[in-house]
Amino acid sequence: MSTLPKALSEQDADFQQSNASRRQRMSVWFYGLCVAIALISVVVLVVLLVSIWVQGQSRLTADLLMNSHSELDIERSGMWPAIIGSLFVCGVCALVALPLGVGTAVFLEEFKPKAKPLRWLHGFVQLNIANLAGVPSIVYGLLGLTVFVYMFNIFGQIKVNESSGWELMGANHKYQVLSLETGNVVFVPQTDPDQRQITIDQPVQGMDAAGDPIEIEVWQPGTPKPTDPAVRRRTVRSGAIGATVTEKSWYYFRLPLDKSFLAGGLTLALVILPIIIIASQESLRGVSPSLREASMGLGATTWQTVRDVSLPAALPGIMTGSILAMGRAIGEAAPILVVLGAAVAKNAGPQNLMDNAVTMPVLIYNWAGRQQDEFKELAAAAIIVLLVILLLLNSAAIIIRHKVQQSQS
Amino acid sequence: MALPKALQNRDFRSTRVGMISERIIVVLLGLCALITVLITIGIIYMLVTQSAGFFRSDFVSLRGFLTDKEWTALQSQDLAKAQFGILPLLSGTLRVTLIAMLIALPLGLITAIYLSEFASSKIRSWLKPTLEVIAGVPTVVLGYFAILVISPSLQWASGGAFSTFNATSAGIAVGILCLPMVCSLSEDAMRAVPRSLREGAYGLGCTPFETSVKVVVPAALSGIVSAFLLAFSRAIGETMVVALAAGTLPTLTADPTRQAQTMTGFIVEMIKSESEYGTVQYFSLYAVAVSLFLITFAMTLLGQIVRRRFQESYQ
Amino acid sequence: MVTVSTANTDNGEQNAQPDRTLIQIDDFNAWYGDFQALHGLSLQIPRYKVTAFIGPSGCGKSTLLKWINRMNDIIPGAHAKGELKICGEAETPPGRDTNILDPALDVVRLRRKIGIVFQKPNPFPKSIYDNVAFGPRLHMKTTKAELDELVEWSLRKAAVWEEVKDRLHGPALGLSGGQQQRLCIARAIAVGPEVLLMDEPCSALDPASTLAIEDLIFELRSQYTIVIVTHNMQQASRCSDKTAFFFEGRLIESGDTERIFTKPEQKQTDDYVRGKFG
Repeated sequence: MSTLPKALSEQDADFQQSNASRRQRMSVWFYGLCVAIALISVVVLVVLLVSIWVQGQSRLTADLLMNSHSELDIERSGMWPAIIGSLFVCGVCALVALPLGVGTAVFLEEFKPKAKPLRWLHGFVQLNIANLAGVPSIVYGLLGLTVFVYMFNIFGQIKVNESSGWELMGANHKYQVLSLETGNVVFVPQTDPDQRQITIDQPVQGMDAAGDPIEIEVWQPGTPKPTDPAVRRRTVRSGAIGATVTEKSWYYFRLPLDKSFLAGGLTLALVILPIIIIASQESLRGVSPSLREASMGLGATTWQTVRDVSLPAALPGIMTGSILAMGRAIGEAAPILVVLGAAVAKNAGPQNLMDNAVTMPVLIYNWAGRQQDEFKELAAAAIIVLLVILLLLNSAAIIIRHKVQQSQS
Repeated sequence: MALPKALQNRDFRSTRVGMISERIIVVLLGLCALITVLITIGIIYMLVTQSAGFFRSDFVSLRGFLTDKEWTALQSQDLAKAQFGILPLLSGTLRVTLIAMLIALPLGLITAIYLSEFASSKIRSWLKPTLEVIAGVPTVVLGYFAILVISPSLQWASGGAFSTFNATSAGIAVGILCLPMVCSLSEDAMRAVPRSLREGAYGLGCTPFETSVKVVVPAALSGIVSAFLLAFSRAIGETMVVALAAGTLPTLTADPTRQAQTMTGFIVEMIKSESEYGTVQYFSLYAVAVSLFLITFAMTLLGQIVRRRFQESYQ
Repeated sequence: MVTVSTANTDNGEQNAQPDRTLIQIDDFNAWYGDFQALHGLSLQIPRYKVTAFIGPSGCGKSTLLKWINRMNDIIPGAHAKGELKICGEAETPPGRDTNILDPALDVVRLRRKIGIVFQKPNPFPKSIYDNVAFGPRLHMKTTKAELDELVEWSLRKAAVWEEVKDRLHGPALGLSGGQQQRLCIARAIAVGPEVLLMDEPCSALDPASTLAIEDLIFELRSQYTIVIVTHNMQQASRCSDKTAFFFEGRLIESGDTERIFTKPEQKQTDDYVRGKFG
């Protein structure tokens, strides 16, 4: 059987020629297509950046950075409270998500169990994290709304002038009563937290606006009013009604968390936790096992090995991953919108732990959805500020990566 | 050479302290890992209990929820007249997602082929960061881009056939958002295909086109399919783009030029309307969220399974 | 008061003394999951001698070595049965027998007593000084001066002091492969072990560095019991006192190195040492 098979011996030279050149043409066309399509992404990015710059550059003023949102004075509206708000929310998010994420990654990578049921559990946790990474951020928003803002309503619902939940610390309640001197008030300490108002018909101990204790006098209508301003300032009409006011220290804390920046930050931490875990795990996996062996061989325990060898070696990767995750957190709008609401009228950053906050992406969403052209331009300008911040963060990540690559080569 | 003092003393630390602190740390780290499980349980518990509040209402039935052709939770003031049929929201989500996939999948895949098979290292060093920057753009910015550029361009090109807010412009923006993800995951899968396979194909006289399309892509198929699934799930869950650009009217139609409120878009509108806690409208949030969660969860799980089960291992 | 351990002072005589078994292995079996890597082997490792484990790849010699200080603990599915103990009366100071396989054994103490050097030099990405001080810092309370002394002593012992003394705080990864491996030996002896396990310590090194390490091993056996796994027949014959030949998870033959290489009793050993396979 030494004769060639027919398919090989009877090949038509013309056909082969044309087939080869057809295939070659095809390949060239495909290459052209690849280049063209790869260019599209560059073009899209350029168009995006240019159009936003053109739209927003005229609003890049000091007003934008230093003022707050205003419905009336649109021209001078700014994003200062949003910058501070983003800082607070992302700060909380980082404080919660980084230790949790790195801790989980260390547990999953370095403390791998040997027993079979535990190994199964380990695999389950791993799969669970991969799935959490795929949960839409708005679902985390709803989780934050239910768990942090309302806490399933087990602590009661927070309502203005009715209920303020379980106040654990930092709250000082007192009744505020108008005195005879116009524009002046005195305060009476509140003892029963459920009694929202009192009626004053006899002299009581109280304090003035500065907090100094005073004896509150009662003036019966019909009798002559005192004339001395100092006395008038601490005298109230008999039957005057005092309503509760609450003085909140910066550490004011209550349950449920309501629409506070704390709730926002915690929710955001849920969103970026899987990202940090996955990045840290990858980084730890990249640490050469021989280093771990060396450390264990010297009699170090697993934790000592992690602390002194694996974590330092994986730190650059963990930091890069964390910075990228924080970039995601800063730009994330949907969960914050769900937890903190879409209102943006705020003229300062949070005053206490339970204070509301506005973040930059929510402000951009709010402005972008409005009819007035001024707000649309402001939105573009705010986007430029946001992108610059993200750019700075990402450059930090790139610099770290670059430095590590250099030191390793 | 005399033995150093430290070794003469043999003053070794007690190992018991180390062992106890080791235990404590293992427990602490284990608790961290446990929190991730608690989050999942929390999500499921929340969705079940809160949407139960919705389905328990007299004005809602599960059947109506799945088959009614109208969703008027926000529009009707009178609860008795409100219609709670998920189909219009689902149709909005699907329209936007399909358009997004029509953009992200081919463009992402071909860019990935280009990056992994043809691009010189110089072009890579430009193209990769470009894609990373696009991936890092906040979604609210892409939503703004959709109403600032894409939607007016569509209206101009079609002579006004598109309404101001429409499914297509939102879909295009979501597609841009998913493109880097499809691209980088597919590229990873293709780079994992060993050189020897490519060399084999070239050795048989394949052109670069045939090598990449007939050898590399099939070999990396599991990774590419899982990338597609993850992108799909990402597009379904995308919120800010559709909240800004897709409109607020739930419509049950296949017309991509009309408004299309999606599931996520509805959640945002509902939150903005600040419905009182505990009302049927409020709980309808969770019913929509359940649908959203189930779809994305199925997609991610499928993606995981495809990647693990059908992964060709080259050793 | 300080008791100076006699083991580390004079040693020329000790080599002349009859062998005293430090590590006793009896009917030892080891598995990775369902795969049995070692089958019922028995062996005595004498004190202050260099014992070489030889045999083709996958014969189980590294497995046995790593069981001696329980490095296999970190490998999922690895388990073992049989006797593997340190004979207490051969220790300095004499103590009780230690069952190495005891699950309740304090492996931290065990590994402090039995150090290990790996195939590829694996210094930590820290300074030379910090590498050597890593173990002492974990295990001992030392003053700065004591630590300095200990680091210098260890580096001198490992014959690398002269080369690194001017850059103690420079990166360890900047050293050559041979220097790195000697640094790893210094790191291992800095915690004062009695036994040094060496898993093919020269296989990643060039011939000159290999010779330096072999000389070092020869020096060190006066104070340490050394077990070395090697592929290299010349190395085993050059620097070991005892040799054990492994094949397919079984111990074929063991005895004085000279005898194993000149008059092996088993045919397999003969074939291997003559280079017919492996």
